[in-house]
Amino acid sequence: MSPFVRDPAASDGDRTPDPAATGRAPDPVTPGATERSLDRTIGRVLQWGIAASMALLGAGVLLMIAGRVDPLGPPPPPFDPAALPRGLVTLEPEAYLWLGLVATIATPSLRVLVSLVGFGRAGDRRMVLVSAGILAVIVASVAVASMVA
Amino acid sequence: MIAGLLMAAGGVAAGVFGSLLGLGGGVLIVPLLTLGFGLPLREAVGVSLVSVIVTSSAAAGVYLERHVANLRLGMTLELFTAIGALAGGLVAFALPERVLAGLFALLLAYTAAVMLRRSLPRPSRSATAASVDRGPVDPDLAADGALEAGSGTDVLDPDAGPSSSPHVPGSRPEVGFVATLGGSTYRVHRFSFGIVGSVFAGVVSALLGVGGGIVKVPLMNIAMGVPLRVATATSNLMIGITASASAIVYFLRGGIDPYVAAPTAIGVFLGAAAGSRLAHRVDVRVLRALFIVVLAYTAWQMASRALA
Repeated sequence: MSPFVRDPAASDGDRTPDPAATGRAPDPVTPGATERSLDRTIGRVLQWGIAASMALLGAGVLLMIAGRVDPLGPPPPPFDPAALPRGLVTLEPEAYLWLGLVATIATPSLRVLVSLVGFGRAGDRRMVLVSAGILAVIVASVAVASMVA
Repeated sequence: MIAGLLMAAGGVAAGVFGSLLGLGGGVLIVPLLTLGFGLPLREAVGVSLVSVIVTSSAAAGVYLERHVANLRLGMTLELFTAIGALAGGLVAFALPERVLAGLFALLLAYTAAVMLRRSLPRPSRSATAASVDRGPVDPDLAADGALEAGSGTDVLDPDAGPSSSPHVPGSRPEVGFVATLGGSTYRVHRFSFGIVGSVFAGVVSALLGVGGGIVKVPLMNIAMGVPLRVATATSNLMIGITASASAIVYFLRGGIDPYVAAPTAIGVFLGAAAGSRLAHRVDVRVLRALFIVVLAYTAWQMASRALA
């Protein structure tokens, strides 16, 4: 089953009936097939994201060694997204290092984005809101840090 | 380039020791970079956050695939840790380094005290103590994720320890949406505690460059009634976004040096993976005793820096 297909047992997204409506305490929650599938998908996203990050950072470190760059020497050029493609082609260590750092920091956010899509397809509106809220905080981090910087 | 190799080696050592002792990488990396390489504390915190993201995400991936981490609970709480981390990341640039050093000294002293307490024999906690001796499941210390990458199988084996909900005196299970955040064998209690504690954990993480598991695991386990192994795995999941929210602030403000971050993060990642494989072959009691001394000495050094 695709990780994002709707779970028939959770068509309205609420796995536990509203106690106020039913007049009884909710049952303990058992993860459904959709959620287990989403767990696996997100787990792979995290592992592949970190693998890609490590590969980029590793390439950058090898290029640092080749270029005899001293980590405690002069600081690297500042992060410039526009300069990354050319730096990657010309094998500049800074390009691989910056891209590796961006990939590392972005991996958890990618996991949240995948969760948002997964919960959305499962019709779990509340978890969609939670996911969107987390992404909003991340966007706020970028915006606030950019303004302050 | 020798400095880079030494940073990678230091990262490997931090990863190995962190995994064997159930500590997160941040508690070890920040002192390593500040006291060992003379980096400014704030820069060391930024580098540490990157390492924390790497190790916790790798561990969380394993935990999720094994269905041990509680995705719904973790995501709901990490909304609040992320808010705390954003605030903490901004505050970190406003605080003098001496204040940060003082706070880090307190964290180190607290960690040493917790490890010391865990070292004392307590028969009633035999199951937990056995797990602690294997490394990363210490309820107070596990969690920053550093080591659990790769060792999740053993640590979180469903038959390896208590899995039912711990008793939470004086509270009732939550209802409504929060009730859906529990698991098949436990329910969530005191969600409001979880919110406040999560914000605090986010602030601590952003200020000191640690994952904050030292706050989250006891919070979920003791206050919210989440089984220890689920709390540990879920904390790992949350740490990624927590550290990411503050790492963005450090990154965009030029607080992360890629020349330092890359070798250190790679070293910690490799060390954590190696440490998880060594966990069953090493008697960590002696190691822990030694490490308590190291932590106490490092706390003293940080305190001296704060008071200088």
